[in-house]
Amino acid sequence: MSPDAPTFDPQQLKAWLLAAGKRDAVAFRQLYNATSSKLFGFALRILHKQELAEEALQEGFVAIWNNAATYQSHLAAPMTWMATIVRNKAFDVLRRSDDTVEIDAEQFDGEVMNALKDPQATPIEALQMSGDAKALAYCMSALEGLHRQVIALAYYHDLSHSEVAQQMALPIGTVKTWIRRSLERLRTCLAKREAP
Amino acid sequence: MNIRGNDVLRQKLASEYVLGTLKGGARRRFEGWLHNDADLRHITAEWRQRLEPMAEFATPVTPPRRVWRQIEQRLHLSPQGGWSLWRDSLSFWRSLGMASSALAALLVVVMAMRLFDAPQIAYVASLTDEKSQAVMLATADSRHGALEVRMVGNAPVPSDRDLELWAVPKSGNPRSLGLLADKGSVKLALTERALGSDVALLAVTLEPKGGSPDPNGPTGPVLYKGNWVKL
Repeated sequence: MSPDAPTFDPQQLKAWLLAAGKRDAVAFRQLYNATSSKLFGFALRILHKQELAEEALQEGFVAIWNNAATYQSHLAAPMTWMATIVRNKAFDVLRRSDDTVEIDAEQFDGEVMNALKDPQATPIEALQMSGDAKALAYCMSALEGLHRQVIALAYYHDLSHSEVAQQMALPIGTVKTWIRRSLERLRTCLAKREAP
Repeated sequence: MNIRGNDVLRQKLASEYVLGTLKGGARRRFEGWLHNDADLRHITAEWRQRLEPMAEFATPVTPPRRVWRQIEQRLHLSPQGGWSLWRDSLSFWRSLGMASSALAALLVVVMAMRLFDAPQIAYVASLTDEKSQAVMLATADSRHGALEVRMVGNAPVPSDRDLELWAVPKSGNPRSLGLLADKGSVKLALTERALGSDVALLAVTLEPKGGSPDPNGPTGPVLYKGNWVKL
């Protein structure tokens, strides 16, 4: 189990996930080895507290095993499917606990932040993530900094428009407009990158 | 409200549903529509595929080992139960008996080898598959401190798996002796792990690349096994 060599080959992850759906515990273990550090980092990013993130990861992988047979590879990449589950579990854990999570202004960790701000200095290609995530990073780097921050706040903290507005000290109308426009821009940008 | 045919609105709702900003009654209403609107489900899946990779923007952090152990326990994936069950089963010991005639033939070969000085063979095992076909020959050379495993049959291994050799004591956890190649022969260090007087047999299991991730024993199925006989 090497945390330094995560496997992000979607075909390999897909094969393990489908095998886990057929109750192959060894494949499931390999899926865990390949993705748990990424998903644990993600849960930590949402929850900040180690024990809460461990709980979310555990709940997430239990749900991944229990639902692997329903995974439809034409609808979602394996990482997308698993991240959705872990994110939902993280918010569940947060709602159950009495803890409140601190919301910091910088939504992304150092290296990714730098790449989003200035892809010339920190090439997105060099980041350790799947092709889907690189494409999204590229398109997000083309958004204005504040717009990017609004999207990230909503995504990582499950906030409503008014909560984002409060957090950023912006009028709610502005937040709604920024989110709508940013999502449209991301869609257009990603579609362009997909086109041959 | 009817949102069919209003593509702009459908895209907006689906995207904010995935992002999370669609809340309360509006969110529940949207989930109701999802139920009987395949196209809306498709649009939503597309938005997921667009936005969810943001998860990967977080820096990877290796989770503590206890997380996997807890998952394993909750899902009853632990090999522990299966392993001891297998060892204690009558049919297992019976199948070893069936393999004994193969072992007798093997002993002749080994005895002959001893005449030519060379290695000092202290232990030998013929590892057989479920049909009692010999697949591997394991010999412990005490003079050179080597444990050699030679393929005598076919042992195909998927490219993402490894074969792992175990010393199985009469009680307690199996002890890993090392990884095997799927053809030719492999020389492993001969240590106390393999020579303990409590070791009844050797077994080979199919494991993830790099060997069993569980420090307490194998995680995969037993493919080959044989009595570990002192000469």
